[in-house]
Formats: sequence, C-alpha cells, structure tokens
Amino acid sequence: MKRRNFMQGLLLSSAVAITTSPTLLSAEEKPKKAGPNDMDYKTAEAAITGGKEIKESDTLKLTVPEIAENGAVVPVKVEVDHPMEENNFVKAIHVLNTKNGNARSADIMLTPLNGKGYFATRIKLGGTQDVVALVELSDGTFLKAAKSVKVTIGGCG
Amino acid sequence: MDINRRDFLQIAAALGLLGVTGGTNLFAGEAGKERIKKLSFNDIVDFEPKGKVTLLHICDMHAHIKPLYWREPSTLISAKNLVGTPGFICGDSFESYYGVESGTVDQYFDTHNNFPALAKKFGKMGGISHMKPIIDHIKKERGKENVLLLDSGDTWQGTAVALKTKGEAIVDAQNYLGVDVMVGHWEFTYGKERVFELIEKLNGEFISQNVIDNDPFSDEFEELIFPPYTIKEVAGAKIGIIGQSFPFTSTANPKKFTEGWSFALRHESLQEFVNELRNEKKVDAIVVLSHDGFSVDQELAKKVKGVDFILSGHTHDPSPKPIIVNDTVILIAGSHGKYIGRLDIDIKDKKVAGYNFKLMPVASNLIPADKTGDALIAKWYKPFDKELNEVLGTTKGLLYKRDTFYSTFDALIGEAIQDEMKSDIVFTPGYRWGTTLIPGDDILKDNVYEMTAITYPEVYTFELKGDLIAKLMEDIADNVFNENPLLQQGGDMSRLTGASYSIKVAAPSGKRISDFMIGGKPIDLKKTYLVSSWGGNLQNAGENLDEKKIRAVYEVVSDYIRKQKTIDISMKSNVQVLDFDCGCPIKGAKC
Repeated sequence: MKRRNFMQGLLLSSAVAITTSPTLLSAEEKPKKAGPNDMDYKTAEAAITGGKEIKESDTLKLTVPEIAENGAVVPVKVEVDHPMEENNFVKAIHVLNTKNGNARSADIMLTPLNGKGYFATRIKLGGTQDVVALVELSDGTFLKAAKSVKVTIGGCG
Repeated sequence: MDINRRDFLQIAAALGLLGVTGGTNLFAGEAGKERIKKLSFNDIVDFEPKGKVTLLHICDMHAHIKPLYWREPSTLISAKNLVGTPGFICGDSFESYYGVESGTVDQYFDTHNNFPALAKKFGKMGGISHMKPIIDHIKKERGKENVLLLDSGDTWQGTAVALKTKGEAIVDAQNYLGVDVMVGHWEFTYGKERVFELIEKLNGEFISQNVIDNDPFSDEFEELIFPPYTIKEVAGAKIGIIGQSFPFTSTANPKKFTEGWSFALRHESLQEFVNELRNEKKVDAIVVLSHDGFSVDQELAKKVKGVDFILSGHTHDPSPKPIIVNDTVILIAGSHGKYIGRLDIDIKDKKVAGYNFKLMPVASNLIPADKTGDALIAKWYKPFDKELNEVLGTTKGLLYKRDTFYSTFDALIGEAIQDEMKSDIVFTPGYRWGTTLIPGDDILKDNVYEMTAITYPEVYTFELKGDLIAKLMEDIADNVFNENPLLQQGGDMSRLTGASYSIKVAAPSGKRISDFMIGGKPIDLKKTYLVSSWGGNLQNAGENLDEKKIRAVYEVVSDYIRKQKTIDISMKSNVQVLDFDCGCPIKGAKC
C-alpha cells in the first residue's frame, strides 16, 4: 500500500472512531507529567557522545529478550569483543532505552583492570521500546547496538 | 458406521495413501477393487517406508485420553503477510492449499466445513486406545527399536481427569503409548515441583534447551533446568533431539508456577547445541522437538542452520504436507490426539538422504479400541465418573472452541460468568484447546472441564477504567496480529461478553480497535467498569478485586447450564473485522 493511501485509510478509520468510540490513540496522547530526571533518548545520546559519530559494529553484542517476561526486570547483557590493554580498552558501557521517562538506564565506567568489556544488568521498561547499548572506546570511538523489547501483559495459552 | 464404496474412495484419496515422496497407486486394477471393498485400519496406516528410522510425532493432546469431537477453526485471521500461509489457513483456504476433497475424512479432520454432518458420518476422533494400535502396527512393521515416539507437549493439561490427578493419569497414558521424549508448556502450570515429580513417573525424557535459571543469587544462575538434548541410537544411526519448550510460558501463564525460571526462544543457544551435536557428538540427523508454534518455527528455521527436522506444536495446526524452510523440514500434527505423524528417515553417509511423511488421522471408528487402553481410561476415570457424567443440559446449536475472535462455547462461558457476577464485561481467554459438541448433544460436566480444566480456574471480578480496557485490548491484539511471528504468542483474541468492537487487523499497533461498545453504549474511557475474567493476568491490572465473588470457572458454568437446561448460543460473532471479508483468506489476504 502506498503511503498516501495508507494515511487516507487511517483518517477514514479514525473518523469512524470519533463518531462512535475513540481508539487507544486518543488515550495514549494525553500529555504525561514530566519527572525531575526525565531525559529523552536524543538528549541522552548527545550528552554521552558530545555529538561525535557513532558506529555500528560487529564487535558489540547486545542480548535482550524479544518479549520481556517481566517489564520491571528486563535482563540486558552487553559484550564488547575488544582488547583491554593499557592504551586500548573499552572505556564505558551505557545502557539506554528509547521511551521511558528517563532514557538513561545505566552508565558503567571500565578500566583495563576489568579484563573484559562486559556488563549485565536488569532494567525497567515502561512499555515496548528499543534498548540501546552505547560503548565508548579509549580512543574516543563510540559503538552502538539497539534491539526492540516487547513489553506485554501477556495473552494466550 | 456405514461406509460405501464412494466414501471409501474419498477416504483413500483423502488419507494421502501415496505419501509425500510418491509411491504406487494402491487402488489401481483388480487388486485395487478388492482393497476398496475392505476399507479398514490398514488404509489409515498404509505408508511407503523409507530408510530404517521412524519418528512418530504427537502434539497438543491436551489430556484427551478419550476420543472427542474437535472442529478446526472457521476464522483464522492474522497479519496480511501471514494469512493464507501454513499456520494461518483454515476451511476453504486449507482445502485449496492442501488439496482436500469435500465429504472426506480429511475434510472432517482438517477443516470446519460440513462438520456436524461429517461428525455423524465418521464419529469421534483420537483417544489413546485408538492411537495405540497405530503405534503398535508401525513398531511391528519397522521393529520397535527403530521407532521413537516424540511428544511436542501440551499433553498433561486439558481435561478433568488430568486436573484431578495433577497430571498423573496422563503420564500413565504417555507411558502406555510409549512416549520417548517430550517438551512442555501447560505442563508447567502444575508448578515446578509437580513437573519434576511427573518427569520421575514418565518413562521417557523431558528436554528443553530454552528454560534456564533466572535467579541471579542462585548458584545455578543461567544454568539449564532440563537436559537440552538427547541422543538416540536408532537403526544404527545417531539421532540428536533438541528440546524447545514454549518460549512465552512466563507471559502466557501465571509466573508463580515457574518462579525463578526464564523462558525464551533462545535461537542462539539452539544454534550452539546444533553445532555441538554435529561437530562433537557426530550425530547423523538433528531433530528439534518444539512447542514454539508452527509459524515461529518457520522463522526459527531461517535463523538456525543445520536442523534437519522440526517437529512443531502449540498452534494446533494439522499440516498434511511438510513445510520446508531453507534446508529444514517442519512438521506439525494437529491437536487433541487427532493425528499421529509418521516420519521415516533414510540416513546414508551420516546424513539425511531422504524421508517420507504422513499424518495419520485417528478416526476412532476405523480403529478397533485397544483393551489395555480402555482399561487405563476406566481406571483413572472411575473415582470421578459420577461427577463427570452428570448431564447439565443440552445444546441446540454447535458448541465449539477456536476461531480468532468468537466461538460458541466461549460465548456460553462468558454468558454464565456475566449472569453470576453481574459484570459489565467478561474476558474469556483465547486458548486453542477445548472440545466440540454437536447440535442436540447433552452437555456433561466433563465437557465443561474440557473447556476450563486449569490449575488457576478462579473467576475474578474487579474494576477497570475504560481507557485501560481499550489499552489492554490493543495489547492483546498486538500479540495476536503482529506481522512478526516471533512477537506473537500463538493464541487467539480474548473473547468478550457484554461488549462488541470492530477491528482493522492491518492497522498499526495500538490503533486496530474501533467502535468499542460496552452494554450497547460506546466505551467511556473515563468510566470505571465492572470486569470479570479468568485464565489470564487481567486481574493484576484491575482495582477493588471482589474477593467474595471468586469462584472456579467450571462451577460457575456448570451452575448456569443446570439452570438454563437448554443452551442456545448464536453463531454470530460480536467482533466485526473491517479489513477481511471472510474467516479463512487465501494468500494475499484475499477471500
């Protein structure tokens, strides 16, 4: 379907909805109260990288579930296949989300003594969204990996 | 049962007597005419053998050790990219995809078409006493050491006798059938301890590579709960069998039963086990015994290399022909004990050189019952016979389960709950197991259990705000209609009583449902509604749970039928699908 047809289709269906009953759309569009630590993803990413270029890399592996078993404790694992030598090491691993009030879930600073570019934790996700691993290497390079996690109340048997 | 020559020809054709990879026409010439006169059990088990290894496959029996009627869905809607493909076909689209003829045993077993008439003609389906003769016959033909019986799970739960014996009657039945290896899903709803007790009683093995310890403070953190695979020496060949239990057990069923265990697809570790079996254990063939669901396994086969066969389960699809994705052959054997899948494998030079497959319908009237099986059933049912044989009432119309949005037995359950709880809206789960009653049938207490026999039968009544109800419905819709099979969970939409809605399946997530009416009025997002639900997690989202009203669903439904005496449920759905004109679309989402 072309984008234009699709948009028309959407308009049509929402017109039907207004005359009878609203869809979830209107329920979701209510403005949320901002918390003191709220930060959206773009701002968080820029704060970490200072606007530097971010590379996608095979050396960075992010492991998250496709569907969260429990949105309150979603396991996240970040592995960086990179040396941990004195002048060449994984300097930081940042775990971010794209839709929670606060996009920053964890910031971990490493030194060569950590021996491995590895970090695993559990984070809370308020709804279906991407989890992002942002890694800083000692030479100032940034690597990124993102994966979607579905958060659901659950359904079938 | 009267079967005339014409019926027989249809049955013979429908049974797929020629097998998948070809064969000889058993009904040609004079000898053929003779065969036709004597239609029997032999025609069900007739098969062109291949190689020396035979794997028999069953899935999703749901504890039906006795024969039953089971009608396949008349509506099986999904995302537009998926409808019309195996896993999302039914009725006419199933018939045209697999070449099923009208009036045949295949039409009766595989589709909803002509169901009440064909049910009278062909009788009940499945039952262990009718499955066993098929298994025995094949073991005799091939040599019993050359045959394995693999069970894709959802076996221990689904009937009163299973619930009341906490699964033990069914494990006894599995031992009688000779199950060698199994995986699980509803099995887990008996709780962790009981699962281990039942595995002790099972003569076969329980395997799963995708269930791991989830407790970071335990010494076994991220360790496997069950053996991930087993290697069987069959006819001089080494067969590696890897287990996949249901990946979404912890979201689909209450977490309390599997606290501390983590379920997921885990295709990466599956690939590691495939490599380990190939490279270190030097197996000749790799089989994944799975409860992922038919469509998920088709996706899995794209991600994991080196699997020869996936014996699938969970979604209850009968697939008379194998589905081949990359180099993996995917098979699934329906549900409720209706079929036994026979897979013969020819192994040459340490790899699979050929195979033949057939889904054998357990048409109970064509298969004389095995007495040992009947005795086993009688033994386990005896303590409960009086309760279960109570006639609660009769049904005027067809009572069935399945379909994407609405089915009559669910509508009856919803009606019963609403009558007792006086709630505005009732949610009944979109499970795919249950039973079917033919118009005019008595409704036994046993039948009510066949629809509701779970270890968490409580009907909860609580308050939910309109906007939350709308959100929950969208969430459920996204689990059912997501265009990525990996994000579906293989069930149908929750059924609603007291409400109606329209749905645009292809609309984006969160925007599918419109025209949502509760009690005949448009939903008020700010209003608080009284909601009853069972079999799910919905009560956790609600407020002011009325603890005095909590009662087992099978008792609520039984009371209602006793009171009504005659049940007359409309076949008309309370859900209008805006972007499909029929229940069983073909590929391209056309009707």
